[in-house]
Amino acid sequence: MSTHTNTDAAGSRNAGNPIVEQRIALAMTINGERYDLKVMPTATLLDVIRDELGLTGAKKGCDMGGCGACTVLVAGRRIASCLALAASFSEADVTTIEGVGSADRLHPMQAAFMRHDALQCGYCTPGQILSAIALLSENPRSIEEIREGMSGNLCRCGAYTNIIAAIAEVAGR
Amino acid sequence: MNTRSVARYEGILKVTGDARYEGEIVPDGTLHATLIESPVACGELLSLDTSRTAAFPGFAVMVSHADAASLKPSAATALIREKAIHFHGQPVALVAAGTLAEAREAARAIQVATTTRPAVTDIGQAAGSAYTPAMVGRFPAVTRRGDSSKALSEAELVIRNRYTTGVNNHHPMEPHAVVCWWEGSRAVVHTSTQAIFGTRAIIAHAFDIPATDVRVLARFLGGGFGCKGQLWWPWMFWAMLASRKANRPVRLELSRAQMFTLVGRRQQTEQDLTLGFVAGRLTAIEHDVVAQTSTHAEFSDSTAVYTRLLYACPNVSTRHQLVPTNEPHPIPMRAPGTAPGTFALESAMDEAAELIGIDPLELRMRNFADQDQETGRPWSSNSLLECYRAGAERFGWAHRHARSATKVGRWKIGSGMATTLYPAIRQACRARVSLRVDGSLLVQCGTQDMGSGTYTALGQIAADALGVPMEKVTVELGDTLLPDGPFSGGSQVTASILPAVEVATSKLRATLASIAVADATSPLGGKPPQDLELRDETIRSRTSNAGEPLVDVLARAAPDGLEAEGESPATNHQELAATGMGYGAIFVEIGVDPELGEIRVRRVCGAFAAGRIVNPLLARGQYIGGLVGGIGMALHEETVTDRPTGCIIGKSLTDYLVPVHADMPEFDIIMIEETDPHLPGGVKGIGMLGTAGIQAAIANAVYDAIGKRVRKLPIRIEDCL
Repeated sequence: MSTHTNTDAAGSRNAGNPIVEQRIALAMTINGERYDLKVMPTATLLDVIRDELGLTGAKKGCDMGGCGACTVLVAGRRIASCLALAASFSEADVTTIEGVGSADRLHPMQAAFMRHDALQCGYCTPGQILSAIALLSENPRSIEEIREGMSGNLCRCGAYTNIIAAIAEVAGR
Repeated sequence: MNTRSVARYEGILKVTGDARYEGEIVPDGTLHATLIESPVACGELLSLDTSRTAAFPGFAVMVSHADAASLKPSAATALIREKAIHFHGQPVALVAAGTLAEAREAARAIQVATTTRPAVTDIGQAAGSAYTPAMVGRFPAVTRRGDSSKALSEAELVIRNRYTTGVNNHHPMEPHAVVCWWEGSRAVVHTSTQAIFGTRAIIAHAFDIPATDVRVLARFLGGGFGCKGQLWWPWMFWAMLASRKANRPVRLELSRAQMFTLVGRRQQTEQDLTLGFVAGRLTAIEHDVVAQTSTHAEFSDSTAVYTRLLYACPNVSTRHQLVPTNEPHPIPMRAPGTAPGTFALESAMDEAAELIGIDPLELRMRNFADQDQETGRPWSSNSLLECYRAGAERFGWAHRHARSATKVGRWKIGSGMATTLYPAIRQACRARVSLRVDGSLLVQCGTQDMGSGTYTALGQIAADALGVPMEKVTVELGDTLLPDGPFSGGSQVTASILPAVEVATSKLRATLASIAVADATSPLGGKPPQDLELRDETIRSRTSNAGEPLVDVLARAAPDGLEAEGESPATNHQELAATGMGYGAIFVEIGVDPELGEIRVRRVCGAFAAGRIVNPLLARGQYIGGLVGGIGMALHEETVTDRPTGCIIGKSLTDYLVPVHADMPEFDIIMIEETDPHLPGGVKGIGMLGTAGIQAAIANAVYDAIGKRVRKLPIRIEDCL
């Protein structure tokens, strides 16, 4: 397993910057890769993975936990990474959309989103897919529960119907 | 061209997170910027004290009106060139630093001093300053056909009511962003814009440089809905000035809160609407609209414009007025004009039907306009009556009273319907289509894809015309190095690009045919060129079994591949032989909990007629997306100003309600295909069509369920108690 750091990008830019001294050292696993990080105490998990590690699949839609575009999985559970302080995720196992599947090996949920055209602009899509994957492990009992469970993920284009159709197909409903 | 449900071209990039939105292109050494906002709604900037800022780690540069003085004056630069403060939250400076956190810290250390003047924060507060603009978009603001006051005095039935609509914000999921830098005197601007060529032109003007020295890129847009246009330009200019001053790339991304103030809104309207009838036929309409605009610029939706032509009526007077307030500036938003306008007209038609004692659907059919009421021109095509019929049948409109006002669980059921319409318009467009020797296709057009499927439509139209499978098609858009394409707005992109792509592919087809028949060694040698067609990557004879694979023809006669450009003109509104309009009929069933006032949309059936449909899979998504936006306007969305301060209240997606998964009804979409002989390509817009009409259909259904007529949007719980 290769190891990555975030100090090459952010550290050199901040050379001589007193704020750097405040950075907290920690390690976490992201998409199966180990990362040794030095993070600002105020940095959110979203800002670290998106801005410092360049994993831009997680989106910043509101930065207030109100839209779900930043959804990532921590130990398989979905969280709003914009509300999560990176420093409190030492040794966490994080999955972003980049770790779910790739163009030649799509996750069944990604393939279902394609089949059902469950997206338009695509900005909410990574969050919708991660949220849907986690939701199915929460064992929703009906389409209504799927709808309710997905309601933290906003889609302004209005692709909701196709998103639910995709999730229902993967859930075998 | 065939109608075909091709999968979304760029879908794979979006489901894997590989699609790079322009704000995510961040070169090494990029500075991150933040905006300092005015704490007052009306006044003047006195000073920006930066004496404490220089010591802040990472701080690089501040730009303000003083820096913007170097820009050429225009409407796009006015707000950032002057010290006047027009609304609460108006940026007074931009601060850039090594990181966003550092920029925010530095910005906090800058002392802002302003004067404060009394602010106008409500159109009711300044009703006396209402004025009539010269135009509303491309239409006159005031019209008068026949004599509506005489007709009203002679009418058997007159209904007169005021309808109001609230302020909405677009809120695409992707906030506006720009990443820009200078290469000598040349500018490179990655930005989320619905109009790369418009943006390039305004940058060239502002910085007084040739347009060819500006490159604007917008290859992926996380939605737009009207707000990724001119109101973004001032803040983008400041980022460009900061980049020039610091000689480093600068990135500015708006916060969600700033999406309420800086990039436009659907304007608030107060609409007085009077209808007069004789024997169930409209004899008079008067539609007066008062709407909000800002104190620094003028904008009016075409709210009453469609009242002039939706129904047959000899006596129609309409008027638009504006009241300037110290609030953010309005701009077109999803179904501009038609959404608020049809809410009033289609609610009033429902009210009239009850008073006349006929079915509201029958009243609309009886008043069908068989030609354009304003110009007297015929319709280019008009399938509205078929929409009514098909929608009513599928919805079960004739049997609705078996369910209306009945209870299902805690829900009282109601049904309502309304008409929607949107003009078919086209912009000038150029497109380039290249066939490579390996038989693959490259389609290039400098337009954008907001999520509406432009990548797919462009690729699909070219692929079909040349008999090439979609897997072999590459589409490039969103870059001003490509041929000029249309801006993404007004539901006209597909209609605009289709004729241009067809011109280009026709040239390629003609070239390929002439190459094939000219070669005696080809199985097609000597055949008449008009006998040939392209299908399944093969050039075939229509009248015999002769054919030759496309790659063989290319390898022999065009080893460098073939390329052609197509061009098509904008709609010339003055010289049209027929008026192009898309129509739809929307039927909804809702439930209202009479104890709680809660409203749920249960079923929506929309029957739409919008010319040729290129891709039914994507078209259906566009219609449903529009309907979802319309449900938001009808039941959820409202931006509220704190009247004493002018500050927008609750600037977040947790306070500004939008439809979520749990709000979704069952959708039934009927697409009625039209062959339109007047429109090049035969395509009409669809995105806006779904967004209008449903507001009135829901209000009419609320009345059907609980007997309360709500004449304001959004309709909230408190309106149903």
